[in-house]
Amino acid sequence: MSWEFLAGQFAAQFGLWWVIWPGILLGIVVGILPGFSPQNTLIMLLPLTLAIPVEQAFAFMVAMYCANHLAGGVPAILVKIPGSGGAAATTLDGYPMTQKGQAQQAIVLSFTASVFGGLITTLATLALLPWLSQIGLYLRSVEMVVVMLFGLTLIAVIAARDTLKGLISGLFGLLIGVIGTDHIYNAPRATFGFLELYDGVPLVAALIGLFAVSEALVMMEEKLIVGAEGRERAMRASWSDTLDGLRLTVKHWWHIVWTSFVGLFIGIVPGAGASIAAFVAYQQSRLWSKHPELYGTGIPEGVIAPEAANNGVTSGTLVPMMALGVPGGTTSAVMMIVLQYHGMVMGPRLFTTNPELAYGVFVAMAVAYIFMILTILPLARYMARIVLIETTYLAPIIILVTVVAAFSERQYLFDMGLALVFGVIGYIAHKTNYHVTAMLIGIILGPLFEQYLARSLRISQGDLTVLFSSTIGNVLWAFLVLSLVLPALKNTLRRKSLSRP
Amino acid sequence: MSRKAPIGADLAIPLLALGFAVYFFWSIADLTWEAKANGVVIGTALIALVGVQLVRMALRVARGEADLRTDPLWQPSEVLAKRVGMVLVTVAFIAVLQLLGLTLSLLIAMMASLAIMGVRKVSTVLWISFAVAAAAYILFIAVLDSAFPHGVIEKLLS
Repeated sequence: MSWEFLAGQFAAQFGLWWVIWPGILLGIVVGILPGFSPQNTLIMLLPLTLAIPVEQAFAFMVAMYCANHLAGGVPAILVKIPGSGGAAATTLDGYPMTQKGQAQQAIVLSFTASVFGGLITTLATLALLPWLSQIGLYLRSVEMVVVMLFGLTLIAVIAARDTLKGLISGLFGLLIGVIGTDHIYNAPRATFGFLELYDGVPLVAALIGLFAVSEALVMMEEKLIVGAEGRERAMRASWSDTLDGLRLTVKHWWHIVWTSFVGLFIGIVPGAGASIAAFVAYQQSRLWSKHPELYGTGIPEGVIAPEAANNGVTSGTLVPMMALGVPGGTTSAVMMIVLQYHGMVMGPRLFTTNPELAYGVFVAMAVAYIFMILTILPLARYMARIVLIETTYLAPIIILVTVVAAFSERQYLFDMGLALVFGVIGYIAHKTNYHVTAMLIGIILGPLFEQYLARSLRISQGDLTVLFSSTIGNVLWAFLVLSLVLPALKNTLRRKSLSRP
Repeated sequence: MSRKAPIGADLAIPLLALGFAVYFFWSIADLTWEAKANGVVIGTALIALVGVQLVRMALRVARGEADLRTDPLWQPSEVLAKRVGMVLVTVAFIAVLQLLGLTLSLLIAMMASLAIMGVRKVSTVLWISFAVAAAAYILFIAVLDSAFPHGVIEKLLS
């Protein structure tokens, strides 16, 4: 890959601005609205993407996909409702920043971390593609079981103030995620007699219930979602707050760089996805911080880490699809269908037979990120105004509109009722400090965990010790134990050093 | 007034989790090992953790540090009626959706919700409800052509 080739690719992709921009705008809308996933939108738009030339179709899909990851952080910051599972970790510090009257700074940080994180990892992917594509090959079902448990443990430790409560929430979510028929024998399990649960628990209904409905039921206690001081700051919000967000971006540039690489590497693992990446990045950020006790109170690093990581995932997810022909997630699977329709065969040969498309995808991604920052940054000031709407109006709108959105994934009225049930469970969890984020991630990981565990057990003929049979898996087990022990150890040492005269 | 911490509400999620795990075990009892391995692995770990939590709570109660009041779930009491009202309106909204269609049922549900939340100005209730219902119609019916039930309004506008 020469510099001339790369320059030509950039010029060609900039020329596709007329498909990239609509993709960005659509991605932002889809990302902000809980219940609308990029994969469903791409499926709805299949007639369009199949009809236009493959380069244009791919530029459009990639722009929409990246913008969707970026925009999911907006409702997470403003009203504690993540637009997607990947933005769930952003609520941990984003919403407290809003409550402190720093919504505009938090949104700007989210945008810049997303764009620069996405841009850096896209460029890194372009340079390292042949080597990165090998990572997925080393992780088989046994290792993936440990990766899933590792992700869930991290989330339980990070999200909850009480680790035991976090683990109970996570495992409860994981068990809910296993509802439905099993992959091998199609036997229904714990469906309460509902045919609608045979395919498993719909993720959108769970996301809407646990975050949107429960949060709306809690927010009724206050007149505004921000305190008196926060209200004053929001009233006085100006362009200087946007500039302040940019200043914080520059100050924490290194944080954006390394947490986006966490996202890239996790994105390469098929099935791991943005949710795990965001939480692992948040946990690592807190682990290496000089002030871990401030995480969760509304600090810039707590917004940067998950946002940079969930956008780092975007290029990572495409690596196994382009280089190995294995889609890293549902969205990339839809993209692969479009490519195959146009006669493209995924795999290592794509880079020699059709380098314009293979590398062009990542160049399109980089160009989309450049367009994105110019489009969305000026909007931060106006988006932040939502915190001034009284909860008297906000709560009913959130509950009814998001319950309606729960219908969109599978088009069952049942899912709307299910969102309400999850809303009540989420409300109880909120009030008793059982973290809903750990529960949601458990529900997301449940089907994947089951799939990988079932495969591992097939290999070992039902012997559970197979989970300790691989070197990489055992290293991951060690990391899992360390992730439980290290924070406790660090806290003890910190307390000792503080108590010393 | 008791100075003990009210931890009764903390029992809700563990008991829900425990009940669900037991139901899960019951539902997989007759399946082959491969089909139920997940449930057994996750459910056993969950029951063990719930057990630890219950013991932890029992010790706090035994030491006199806490009691089993469930106050956090119901406080502040003046908001409780609004919460229950909103849940009931949402249940009623889902129930009549098939009959009235998305737009009309959402319009009525929004009006009822705003009234429950204490909005007394009729014009405010009307314009907010109209705006939300109109936005839902445009997005879900006109643009996305979702499979929402069609009622009088959808049929009139089609």
